[in-house]
Amino acid sequence: MKPLILVVEDDPQIRRFLRATLAAEGYQFHEALTAQEGAAQAAARTPDLILLDLGLPDHDGLEVIRGVREWSQMPIVVVSARGQEKDKIAALDLGADDYVGKPFAVGELLARIRAALRRSASAAQDGSDVVSRFGKVEVDLEKRRVKVDGQDVHLTPNEYKLLQVLVHHPGKVLTQRQLLNEVWGPNHTEQAQYLRVYVAQLRRKLESDPARPRHLQTEPGVGYRLVVDG
Amino acid sequence: MDAAAGETSVETDDPQPRARDTSSTRDYLLAIGIVGISTLVALALRPHLAPVNLAMVYLLGVVAVAWRCSQAASVVASFLSVAAFDFFCVPPYLTFQVSDYEYLFTFAGMLVVALVISTQTARIRAQAAHAIDREARTKALYRLSRRLSAQTRVFDAARTAAELAEEVFETPVVMFLPDKGKISFRRRTSDQLLVSSTEEAAAQWVFDHGRKAGKRMDAFSGSAAFYIPLKGATRIVGVMGVLPDAEGRVFAPEQQNLLDVFANQTALAMERTLSQNAAETARLQMQTEEMRSSLLSAVSHDLRTPLASITGAASTLRAQGEKLPPETRQELLESISDEAERLGRLVGNLLDMTRLETGIELRRDLYPLEEIVGTALQRMEKPLAGRQVITELPESLPLVYVDDVLLGQLVVNLLENAVKYSPAGTAIEVTAAANDNAVTLEVRDRGAGFAEGEEQRVFEKFYRGKSDGVRGAGLGLAICHAIATAHRGTIEALNRSGGGAILRVRLPLENAR
Repeated sequence: MKPLILVVEDDPQIRRFLRATLAAEGYQFHEALTAQEGAAQAAARTPDLILLDLGLPDHDGLEVIRGVREWSQMPIVVVSARGQEKDKIAALDLGADDYVGKPFAVGELLARIRAALRRSASAAQDGSDVVSRFGKVEVDLEKRRVKVDGQDVHLTPNEYKLLQVLVHHPGKVLTQRQLLNEVWGPNHTEQAQYLRVYVAQLRRKLESDPARPRHLQTEPGVGYRLVVDG
Repeated sequence: MDAAAGETSVETDDPQPRARDTSSTRDYLLAIGIVGISTLVALALRPHLAPVNLAMVYLLGVVAVAWRCSQAASVVASFLSVAAFDFFCVPPYLTFQVSDYEYLFTFAGMLVVALVISTQTARIRAQAAHAIDREARTKALYRLSRRLSAQTRVFDAARTAAELAEEVFETPVVMFLPDKGKISFRRRTSDQLLVSSTEEAAAQWVFDHGRKAGKRMDAFSGSAAFYIPLKGATRIVGVMGVLPDAEGRVFAPEQQNLLDVFANQTALAMERTLSQNAAETARLQMQTEEMRSSLLSAVSHDLRTPLASITGAASTLRAQGEKLPPETRQELLESISDEAERLGRLVGNLLDMTRLETGIELRRDLYPLEEIVGTALQRMEKPLAGRQVITELPESLPLVYVDDVLLGQLVVNLLENAVKYSPAGTAIEVTAAANDNAVTLEVRDRGAGFAEGEEQRVFEKFYRGKSDGVRGAGLGLAICHAIATAHRGTIEALNRSGGGAILRVRLPLENAR
């Protein structure tokens, strides 16, 4: 069964090329032109993924995320104009899975869609792998051990916790708030500089060139993403 | 100096005010009184002195009158004295008859001496008064021209002149400025003057006709104040309103004269500031126009070129897609996507520049510089392909208090600049160092470096380096400059020893909380 994607987008030209590229990739899709229609279609058709534009004619696309998250964890990938970090953070904090900035290359969009579908599939299986590997790094979530190039690496408890959260959401952007909340608890969500220092330390321990990280990537103004492939 | 220059241009056709009436009556009374006193003294001395010597008492009286009163009054005193001398001091007493005709000679001599005293004293007195007056005038006008020369705005010039005029003339003075061809009581330097339709009409009339009007003048004599036009060289720039006090001292001819000079100088100064402002506005406008047109030509060229490639490639594909060999099709598709990317970068830069210029709010926090540089390198992965990038970021670097998105953009632009202006395959270095006050970030390349005098210009908008074949709008470094400045930092362009460019950003550490 081909995955069904709901495209909520008001611009006809963008819908046109999305239609072409999604069809070529073998996805089924539905289109909605407004936020209201998008929310209705999401409920009626229960798609496998929603591709959501934030600038919609009737309501803010954020409303769609809020509405859908009340009853479903279906992946939502947001498409937003460049330079609107506030909107991106708001969308992610509301539960969007990822975002792509306009203008975007189709390859990037398809990669995000695939990653989001994969995450939702593995979450459904519930039996995610005990050992996660990316690059030269191996994280054993059961034994709580981390190896780089086969060598044991010592992480502090907070470093490990942070890595664990990232490993649980491979390829997903996690906002600073989400990470702080998961690692330090809900009372420390404003102290982002701790987070940055810990990320820097993790990079020094895990990345071969911490100044050009391959895996622990920063999304400027938004948060972090663990890139597991490539 | 100034006073003399002003005097020559004073108008003479103004109606002269009717002044001095009250003071002259007083002078005559005083003259009569002094002659009376002389007579009393003469009567007291009459038993002891010869009548000819009593004439001296009267002459002294005339001197006194001449000193204190007007010339006319002292002439009257002269005649009165001769008459009184004849009546009281020359026998037979209490008649105008004269027993000895040689007294007629005494009378004649006495009259001539008295009249000479009268005129000479009056002249000396007038000269002294004039000298004092002149000095005061010169001083007042000197102060006026000095204060006016410091003013750059027409309203300030008017207010300064009004304040000084109040000091000099010891009476309320208000300057009125026109607003769209009408004298506006709203544009006045103070509100000491009664606002009424009569006053406004008088001021407007003066503005329209360029002649004085108001109290004790030919026109609008019913108003409380009188108005003097502020006549510049080419037009009337306003109206000076003077509210005379009860004694009406400002109506004295020399005061009126001084007021005219005052008004004249003020008008010229106001006109000067007006034309200066106009010139300044025109200059700014020209500059803005110039910038706008250079922006337009730069932007339209840079927007059109990629658009032309996209349109051309897309239309070729649509019209002849079938006939084209697959490699050509692929090439055209690549050019569409490359040019679209270029267009996207340009639009992004323009948006960034606009945002920075309109003064955006920084969203600052503490960040490791390493993270910001790392993100920038990641974003620049494609353009940097085939380049060796050497990063030197000591672990001991303090966190920097910055807007991460903007600072990331700055680093990206510096890297883009290095890629553009250095030969493919040469290494690019990114280094950072810190001292107690600041963190310094440098991006170095092995390109041609900067031409002499170019080091500053590279940060100007739409400035492009001389290298051939480099495309771009000339906004990248201008954006870097704007971002560095927004963080209270600096950016400089240097030539590197051994060839190449260094762009050095310095961010002060005062920000760290």
